[in-house]
Formats: sequence, C-alpha cells, structure tokens
Amino acid sequence: MATMNGKDIRKLVVACDAGMGSSVMLASTLRKQLGKTGVTVEHTPVNSIPADADVVVCHSGLAARARSVAPDKPIVPFQIFLGDPAVNKVVKAIQQGTDFNV
Amino acid sequence: MSELLERRAIRLAEKAADRDEAIRRCGETLVEVGAVEPGYVDTMLARERSISTYVGEGVAIPHGTLGGKELVKRDALAVLRFPEGVDWGGEPVTLCVGIAAAGDGHVELLAALAEILLDEDQARELREATDPGTVIRLLGKIQEDSE
Repeated sequence: MATMNGKDIRKLVVACDAGMGSSVMLASTLRKQLGKTGVTVEHTPVNSIPADADVVVCHSGLAARARSVAPDKPIVPFQIFLGDPAVNKVVKAIQQGTDFNV
Repeated sequence: MSELLERRAIRLAEKAADRDEAIRRCGETLVEVGAVEPGYVDTMLARERSISTYVGEGVAIPHGTLGGKELVKRDALAVLRFPEGVDWGGEPVTLCVGIAAAGDGHVELLAALAEILLDEDQARELREATDPGTVIRLLGKIQEDSE
C-alpha cells in the first residue's frame, strides 16, 4: 500500500486483455470525467502497458498480470466496469488534487 | 454507424438457456454479417471464462481475446436481446452487445453505450427495446451529442 497524490498523475492507463470491450468503455467514461484535468487516458492490452503511465487501472482478474508486466507502476484493481468505488476514488483524487492509496 | 452496427445484426427476440449459448448466438451473428471467422466464437467464450464482460444495468458486452483479434475481418457490433433474461454469473442479462474489433472503429459507439448505461432511464429504454430503430437511435444520438 502506497499513497499517491492525484496531482502527480498525467497519464492514466486502463489495461485489459484484448483492449476491445469493457476497457474501451471505461476509458471513454474516464476521458469524459477527466477531460478538464488535462490527464491523458489510454486503453492498452495488459502486456503493453506504456512506460510513461502514472497509474494503471485494470480488472482485478488481471491485476497479477499487470503487476508482473509493470512492477513499478501503481495498480488500481476494480471489479465493476462502470461506477467501481476504487476507480471513483482515483477520479476524485485527480479532480481535487488529493491523496489516495494504491 | 451503419457498417459498424447493421440492422441485420440487431436481433431483439433471442432465446438462450445459459450464458454460453447467449455468447454463441452473439458470435454466430458476427459470423453471419461477415465480421469474424467462425473460430472467433470460441475466443469469446474463453474471454468470458477468464473475466466476465458484464458491465451493469443488465448488459454484457461479449468479445474475443487478444489472440482472437486475428480472426476479426472488420470492426462490427451485434446487439442481441434476450427478453427472458440470461443468468450471467449471478447477474440477470437481457441485452448483449457482441463486439468484433481489430481497430478502434467501434470506440465511439462503446462510449455512447457507456453514457446510456450511466443514465437509468436510457438504460431501461435500451434494455426494453423491441424495435431495431430504437437501438440505432439510442446509440447514434449520443454519438452526435458528444461530437
């Protein structure tokens, strides 16, 4: 468990297996929510998480794979594709520039 | 949108005994409209077994795995409604949006779907649609709004 501040996030990556379904939906929702903050939101397959990602959001079933691919990145696992509390917490921290735990 | 979501890929009175059958029906529809090779259907089942594609509001978006992408001939969606509902690992699903995507052609339509699902009234309208025109209107209208 580490603490991160929303202000330190410039790129948020939604990682998934194929990058064609639910992660696309989540990324588009986050893009809308974070539009005004200037944070970049990308969706990528879990095995190609970009090096400049500040935080990685992925389904809890993929968290272990995400950690092995990007051991140095903060990973936020979620269970629900729309409206997950863990994801909402990150959004709020980015919007308000506050701390959150990963 | 017409090429991505063809009217013949909108089937609103489907029946399936279980989740696997519902996914097969979605996959077969994508095969029938020429979007994927038949082998894609198995990758849709494999994906569902690893992580559910249930997204909330009685809607699931079955699609293939990363490996399945090479079986995609063109980006396309299929909308199948199961009025009697399908048990989706404990969640009741009435609407499936089957996805075939090798590129990003479908991204806007999925963004529209996300918007709809975040609005209870629109989510219900989509779930209860019996006319393909309603599905096209709902998914198309928001796209225009967001541009």
